[in-house]
Amino acid sequence: MLKNPDWHLLIVWYFFLGGIAGGAYFTAAIADNFGSPRDKSVFRIGYVLALLLIGLCAILLILDLGTPSRFFNMVTNFRFWNPMSIGAWMLGIFGIFAFVSSALSFAGGEGVAPLRRRLSLLGSIAGFFIAAYTGVLLSATALPFWTDGRLMGALFLVSGASTGMAAISLLLYLSGESAGEGFGKVKRADRYAIMFEILVLAAFLVLLGGAAGPLVSGSLAPLFWGGLVVVGLVIPLLVDLVGLKLPPAVPAALVLVGGFVLRYVIVMANA
Amino acid sequence: MARTLAMFTDTSLCIGCRACQVACKQWNELPSEQPEWTGSYQNHATFTDKTYRLVRFIEKPQANGELSWLLMSDVCKHCAQAGCLEACPTGAIYRTEHGTVNINQDVCNGCRYCVSSCPFGVVAFNHDTGRANKCTFCNDRITNGLGPACAKTCPTDSIQFGFRDDLVTKAGKRVAALKEMGYKQAQLYGADTNGPLGGLNAFFLLLDKPSTYALPEKPLLPQRNVLVDSLLSVGSALLVGVGAVLAFRERGGPAGGSPKGGNDA
Repeated sequence: MLKNPDWHLLIVWYFFLGGIAGGAYFTAAIADNFGSPRDKSVFRIGYVLALLLIGLCAILLILDLGTPSRFFNMVTNFRFWNPMSIGAWMLGIFGIFAFVSSALSFAGGEGVAPLRRRLSLLGSIAGFFIAAYTGVLLSATALPFWTDGRLMGALFLVSGASTGMAAISLLLYLSGESAGEGFGKVKRADRYAIMFEILVLAAFLVLLGGAAGPLVSGSLAPLFWGGLVVVGLVIPLLVDLVGLKLPPAVPAALVLVGGFVLRYVIVMANA
Repeated sequence: MARTLAMFTDTSLCIGCRACQVACKQWNELPSEQPEWTGSYQNHATFTDKTYRLVRFIEKPQANGELSWLLMSDVCKHCAQAGCLEACPTGAIYRTEHGTVNINQDVCNGCRYCVSSCPFGVVAFNHDTGRANKCTFCNDRITNGLGPACAKTCPTDSIQFGFRDDLVTKAGKRVAALKEMGYKQAQLYGADTNGPLGGLNAFFLLLDKPSTYALPEKPLLPQRNVLVDSLLSVGSALLVGVGAVLAFRERGGPAGGSPKGGNDA
């Protein structure tokens, strides 16, 4: 009789916000490196959002420990084959990247821009790691539902990228920047990410096969189909493709809801 | 390293007296717990943070419709390749000089990753201490030349303690004898160091197939998935990256104004 690790909402929130942090940083880096100088608000928001969220993530993880005062024991070892060990290290490394990138996007003027751009490409690797490793961490357990689909890490990564983009769109909208071209580019990037996420999710379910039960037919199934597939993926994509006249914040908010539901159903299916 | 120590649990000798379960509780000062109805004589249903030895009572239907008992004193397997040990990010879970697996309570920070990484559902989280617990193989006793409390107390020698190689030889002879007596399904579980998880340092003689005892037929090391899943994640990261670059690139030419030289990937 296998045991679940008693991971609940703190971990769900961590998986969700860590994904956004990684995805937002990566989106900012792409905007910074490949966009135009007019996309400045996109990368500023992305870097700062990543910094704030990764700080919050560290707090959530520490609170979840049975003995929080010993959080530092996580980094007294380095075990490269162990997702949680590298994850703890990477959380710190990514935090440093997010801090430096945020600082360089507000201070230093154009002189530091080349440095900031190169740093952000390296930082994106750390960001992608933060978004994806939580999925790999689940798949390296003994519980069938977490371990039988080979794409948990990939799914978390794509969802992290998509929710990161959605969070940036939402913040651009709230700060009155939704008319700018940067907003359109983030939206277009998120369209590709959502399409890709639908494909990865489908492949993930096929690979899971019989082990997908808790997701597709259990008590969490309505939340999975309704909250993630319909609300979080299909509706935002359709709104975008059909060009429905909705406040731009609505599809972005739906994508965020979907990202949370994804982590919720996957963690809670074994809780 | 010294010769590996092991426990051999011969379930064909178990009479279900639960002396091992009690001896374990007493030596390790584990408090009693609220009993739970499992539908049979077994109590508790599974290992907990306060129950390291557990006698399983399995009711097996026979050809004539009557039930027969299969009894098994279950314990942490102290795997040669231990999922819990590999999962532990703090190094609290370590291998002793005897070959057994222990949790250092002074280092564990209660992340609970080991709990979900045990292929046998042995490791349990202790909400009182905020740390993970499991059988210690009575490390204090064996280091001082005594056998584990459960093995010492077993009145039928169903649980035997000794050097691993000696016990495996003994167990092999016992299986052969049982087969001759008509127990066709008699088999060893975890004795083979070339088998699953590199062999179990607490191994068993079973009278039926492992799944009858709620044991996995072929336990797997959880960490086997890390490499493939990581590579698939990297692949999807590249695809997401391409999509985002396409979305942000200025139409009809390279990105304007960004001095990135030969950087286009």
